[in-house]
Amino acid sequence: MQARTSRRRRPCSVAWPRMSSKAQSSNNLAHARRTVQQLRIEASIERIKVSKASADLMNYCSEHARNDPLLMGIPASDNPFKDKKPCNIL
Amino acid sequence: MGEMEQLRKEADSLKDQITAARKAVQDTTLQEAVAEIPAVGRVQLKTRKTLRGHLAKIYAMHWGADSTLCVSASQDGKLIVWDSISTNKVNAIPLKSSWVMTCAYAPSGNLVACGGLDNMCSIYNLKGKDGNVKVMRELAAHTGYLSCCRFLSDTEIITSSGDCTCVLWDIETGTQKTVFAGHQGDCMSLAVSPDFKFFISGACDFTAKLWDIREEQCRQTFGGHESDINAIGVRMRKISPALLHQSSMQACFPHHFSFFQFFPNGNAVITGSDDATCKLHDLRADQDLLTYQDSSIMCGVTSLAPSLSGRLILAGYDDFNVNIWDTLKSERVGVLAGHDNRVSCIGVSSDGMACCTGSWDSFLKIWN
Repeated sequence: MQARTSRRRRPCSVAWPRMSSKAQSSNNLAHARRTVQQLRIEASIERIKVSKASADLMNYCSEHARNDPLLMGIPASDNPFKDKKPCNIL
Repeated sequence: MGEMEQLRKEADSLKDQITAARKAVQDTTLQEAVAEIPAVGRVQLKTRKTLRGHLAKIYAMHWGADSTLCVSASQDGKLIVWDSISTNKVNAIPLKSSWVMTCAYAPSGNLVACGGLDNMCSIYNLKGKDGNVKVMRELAAHTGYLSCCRFLSDTEIITSSGDCTCVLWDIETGTQKTVFAGHQGDCMSLAVSPDFKFFISGACDFTAKLWDIREEQCRQTFGGHESDINAIGVRMRKISPALLHQSSMQACFPHHFSFFQFFPNGNAVITGSDDATCKLHDLRADQDLLTYQDSSIMCGVTSLAPSLSGRLILAGYDDFNVNIWDTLKSERVGVLAGHDNRVSCIGVSSDGMACCTGSWDSFLKIWN
């Protein structure tokens, strides 16, 4: 892919790592530091128990089930997508 | 010990910590937790409308917030805005580049966006004064194809790209507000959380990342797994753009996320993959809870959408069908068969009343 000429833009908050073949080893080090930094963030997050996660999912589904048209079905009279054919009484 | 060696050791130790922390919260499985609840009965949806008008493969569709209008993008070089109830074409927008891979509808209904192999995200104003739909902005800075875009509002849009980054744009000035870098492979897809605070990006490096939009930070990585220090400088094989567009759109890698959506409460993500499975990944427990698979399904998942309550997952596959899954019991409860080619995109309207499928057969179908 051709590199685009850079346009004037406001400074971006996350640096875009540029791959320069000259600075390969210091680039590797920088990447390694970023990777460890990211892993530190991810290791420190609070995790909830699977039992709680499961209960919350089940509760959400049951609370909203009756308002879920695809789950409950839609009466023909309430279905804007259903073609309404006139009833002819013969 | 050199710094590099120290970093490698620390990385390994942190990865072990993460693995242990995930195990530590496994006091049960979702399968056990749902054992007592009744399964969903058979779900049978019918094609209510067929939207005809595209002349080539449809690659993407997105519902408008009003649950009536939707936009689709096709290899025929057009964006079409449809009234899904009347099947009328509200707008047929010719594109400068026919190599379109994604489209999006702004929540306000005022704007639509698209992009693809032109590396740009083009924003169109549907409500221009003279009634003509014109390009409002061309967001150009990505050095790779645009795989996905989603509006946060009329002034902000997030894009994912084959250049391995995602970007938050200021639409008015056409500039990048934030570049989300960290993936080691082409970013293939993105989904915004229901509260608009987070988004998830999936990439060809077999991982998905959860990003905090305002904190500009990656909070979690899951999937393949985390970036490997030993793999510095080794980019995943770049996909030839022409090949990507003509063939499977999902690249040549097994197990990578082709598509995902947030579960409606924002606490979980449903992912679909080339390996024919979908998975439910809980963000707060930081692990997969369920897999949706069947030995008879051997083709890749192209797209998926949850129903309004999240109890159903509608997933489009390479075999031209949509399979409907009971999210909690991981059983298949329905099939939508009607397309003559791959189902490339699927969406459930925001009021949950209808599901729209788009296909390489050039048609969109509305089901409920």
